[in-house]
Amino acid sequence: MDNKPIYKNSEKAFLSTDDDSYSEDGVDLTLIRWMLTLTPTERLQTLQQNIHSIRKLRGETSDS
Amino acid sequence: MKHPIPDFLEILSTLYEHKVDFIIVGGVCAVLHGAPVTTFDLDLVHSRSPDNLERLMSSLKKLGAYYRSRGEQRLTPRLSDISSPGHQLLMTAYGPLDLLGTIGIGHDYEDLLKHCITIEVGELRLNALDLQTLIEVKKETISEKDKAIIPILKRTLEEKSKQS
Repeated sequence: MDNKPIYKNSEKAFLSTDDDSYSEDGVDLTLIRWMLTLTPTERLQTLQQNIHSIRKLRGETSDS
Repeated sequence: MKHPIPDFLEILSTLYEHKVDFIIVGGVCAVLHGAPVTTFDLDLVHSRSPDNLERLMSSLKKLGAYYRSRGEQRLTPRLSDISSPGHQLLMTAYGPLDLLGTIGIGHDYEDLLKHCITIEVGELRLNALDLQTLIEVKKETISEKDKAIIPILKRTLEEKSKQS
């Protein structure tokens, strides 16, 4: 019986997609390319929105 | 204790208005370069020249800065604190601000200035560490958090190079 964990295979398949969405070391290149379409101001706004979203998920902010 | 929602632009604007000489490093620097990472504090290396320290003290007062490790004590940074090569981990009215006298293996403002680019954020023209140097400095640190971000920074640099 093959005792290799299933996730190993699925992980490999996930990372070896034919397109170049991921680098060899698993970095999501689509996010980098998207960020590079933004201006520095927009990148900073995105970061702040991300922080705000995470804090909302943690229940640290009450506004919607 | 309830902390304010970070507004990095407000902190940067206040420092800019006070003509403080500083370099953006760390996660916000990475984001400005286009790296898809998240950080909760603003890391800056400041010039420790006497004039700049005076300007920085004024802006810290306006930002309501205090040491975030001291709980409810609200201990405020002194001139002697920010003149040291150490790290001042502060909370302000607009979120966490880390003032770093030096980074990596002792790089200070003057060392890093020649490895900076100017990034325009709205009306502000800000000094940020170039991406290659940011990677080199991250490699010099022993923090696991810093090591984890290095592959993302390297790939961001590669993608930027392809576009230019």
